Amino acid sequence: MESRDMATQEQSTETARTADPESHMARWLLFNGYEPHPTSWDELFASPGTPQAHMAPLVERLGELSPAEFQKLRASADLVFINQGITFSVYSDRRGVEKIFPFDLIPRPVSTSEWRTMEQGLLQRNRALNLFLHDVYHDRRILQEGVVPADLVLRSKCYRPEMVGFDPPGRQYLHVVGTDLVRDCDGRFLVLEDNGRTPSGVSYVLENRLVMKKVFPGLFERFRVRRVEDYPQRLREALCSVAPPAAGDSPCVVLLSPGPYNSAYFEHSFLARHMGIELVLGQDLFVHDDRVFLKTTRGPQSVDVIYRRIDDDFLDPKTFRPDSLLGVPGLMGAYRAGNVTLANAVGTGVADDKAIYPFVEDMIRFYLSEAPILPNVPTFICARPKDRAYVLENLDSLVVKAVNESGGHGMLMGHSATKAERSEFAEKIRADPRNYIAQPLVTLSTCPTWTDEGLAPRHVDLRPYLVSGTSTWVLPGGLTRTALVRGSLVVNSSQGGGSKDTWVMENGQ
Amino acid sequence: MISRVAEHCFWMSRYLERAENIARTLEVNANLLLDFTVPLEQQWKPLLIISGIHDMPGEPDGETVQSYLTWELANPSSIASSLAAARENARIIREVISADMWERINYYHIWMNSSAARDLYNRNRSEFYCQIKRINQLIHGITEGTMSHGESWDFYLLGKHLERACQTARILDVKYHILLPTPDHVGTPVDSAHWMAILTSCSGYEPFNKKRLVSELGSSVADFLVFDPLFPRSVRYCLARCQRAVHAISGRPLAHPRSEVEHAIDLLVRWLNLVKIDDFVKAGLHEELTSVIKRIHRIGDLIHRTYFDVQIRDWMQHVPETPSGTRSESDHPHEFTAVG
Repeated sequence: MESRDMATQEQSTETARTADPESHMARWLLFNGYEPHPTSWDELFASPGTPQAHMAPLVERLGELSPAEFQKLRASADLVFINQGITFSVYSDRRGVEKIFPFDLIPRPVSTSEWRTMEQGLLQRNRALNLFLHDVYHDRRILQEGVVPADLVLRSKCYRPEMVGFDPPGRQYLHVVGTDLVRDCDGRFLVLEDNGRTPSGVSYVLENRLVMKKVFPGLFERFRVRRVEDYPQRLREALCSVAPPAAGDSPCVVLLSPGPYNSAYFEHSFLARHMGIELVLGQDLFVHDDRVFLKTTRGPQSVDVIYRRIDDDFLDPKTFRPDSLLGVPGLMGAYRAGNVTLANAVGTGVADDKAIYPFVEDMIRFYLSEAPILPNVPTFICARPKDRAYVLENLDSLVVKAVNESGGHGMLMGHSATKAERSEFAEKIRADPRNYIAQPLVTLSTCPTWTDEGLAPRHVDLRPYLVSGTSTWVLPGGLTRTALVRGSLVVNSSQGGGSKDTWVMENGQ
Repeated sequence: MISRVAEHCFWMSRYLERAENIARTLEVNANLLLDFTVPLEQQWKPLLIISGIHDMPGEPDGETVQSYLTWELANPSSIASSLAAARENARIIREVISADMWERINYYHIWMNSSAARDLYNRNRSEFYCQIKRINQLIHGITEGTMSHGESWDFYLLGKHLERACQTARILDVKYHILLPTPDHVGTPVDSAHWMAILTSCSGYEPFNKKRLVSELGSSVADFLVFDPLFPRSVRYCLARCQRAVHAISGRPLAHPRSEVEHAIDLLVRWLNLVKIDDFVKAGLHEELTSVIKRIHRIGDLIHRTYFDVQIRDWMQHVPETPSGTRSESDHPHEFTAVG
């Protein structure tokens, strides 16, 4: 596979290029005594005391800090987050306990060549998923030819019959995608999950960068790191490019949020602010004669594009869940009449369904006649009798996931689960095999992260963001999420994970 | 401007103003008690009455009342509740207010929840209340200098001056509730001290002193706080500012009120321009102030109906037929038919 070859090749040149680690180590105050994880790939160190070749200058520069100096910088970074109210609220309390998303100051670097491959792989995957969605809601070629099992798609909870035969503007379904990547112990990037509904977290990418620039201005002068700050503008342009034709030159774009008690409200407000668009709640909109209007102090104003951060289920109580107070009655009618663009389109959940995920590589071959650049993690589909039997027999070495859960919920980590938990999951799988998939445990790569005992390796993943209108743009880098507990492979923020700034290096660094 | 956003902006401003005014009354009352012996029952209870609180748990002694009006989150009109509500409104419209405003509002929210604030309250009460007053004054300055002076600014000013008009009327009404020991005390040092305290709590002591007394002290103070055309906390001045704000929002000239809100404010302002303090005193100061406060509340209700909660069926009479015409239409203010 292409990406594997590249990684191995890089690894060998790196080892050759790294010179004289002993003499460096004494100067690296901060990394003194840092022990990389014994088996996983470390994003900064090739082996104890030896940085990955292209990361040596960064390690050297950061290493000049003493742990005490580093601690001071950490405290000042935390203060920036607190003072600016960059927080997420925890669901349990209506008045909202606000917490800051733990942020680690050691950046997670991605080399120029790694990024180039990753970017191509992401674009390829995105093209295929978008074609798949159009196909599913129109000709169903891929189902008829048996490449993807029809019942898996048509019986998915996320399949929306309302979308059949409907062409969203520009035939674009996936305006914003956040793809979760992990790196295995050989240094290969694998796709863990596609998020094509309402992926979140991008505001942290931008805020993390802002804080890093405040804390380490010198580092940014020394290293050419690709900018992430254009994201809001890019998203706005993309959304304008797929406005209904009647909208004219300056379409009215709004961000539809579930409201201030949603844990991602900060992000909604952040994006609206930086995109220069209105943040609206369902109650601010109404539909009249299949057109969507905003309630303003001067009367109704027509709306052309809605960047919605509300799930399909809650969008329109007339079409979907009738108990939804978050949505707008009649919105689907206006959408189907072509008077408003919804981003992402309705019904994209069939493309990022965990049960469909195993077929994405096949989709790439089917629609694009190309070899997949980014491989999937091998996946067993419990709906298939053969796979199911294997999964049930090997529960102790697999990760089992419920296909419609997110945020690290509904998961069984076989190797660390108790016997009771495993048999409970076995029961669940037998009762509803369609709802489960299983994967071998991938030992996620690690990155030096500050802990109570100084710098220690903690597992990380990476979520790059793709923005699509009439063309697609990939945000250089993405959100690096990090587990903060030793040995933990769960990086979700709702489960106590933190984040890092991701540095895509320019100029071959 | 989105109606809901305008509403949050209006209330953010009102709550900030409210916090400042509660601090003013608490501070001045404490000062007053340093100089004169007042029966316990009369020391702090008036503060509860003007805040409309009739059910505070416990005895209305100094520490209990101050703590209840300062910290108690179960009391929606405490300083802590007001500042928390202001911050919550600001958080919801974070994309409308300026970054500088948000940072300050958030900073004081964090401060109010810190031990530093409690320490200051316990150590130096008067400095604590000064600090609370400064929060609103500082944020107002930041707002004036950093937020666009468009519609959101008009709603901000509307909220601020409506709240202030109401609070000044209430503070003045305290005098009615602090009974003098006997009618013989009218005009004595105790009586004048009360009036001075009321002036001071409105920051009106010095500007008032620069004016000549028109009649006896009590009427003069009331005249100043209700009718002065230039003093920024007088009821009349504040309502005139509200009037300017609603006309800035509709874009109509002051002379041509059209919406219900504009009419209601116009009537009240014109009435205040016509009547004199002697008419107030004759009719009873307390009764007249109560009536002013009621009319201000009515204006608040009309603001809600006119801008924040218009019914769709009333709106749809104004939707033009073609989609392309809709956008330009929003530049021209619509008439609103209020919902009966």
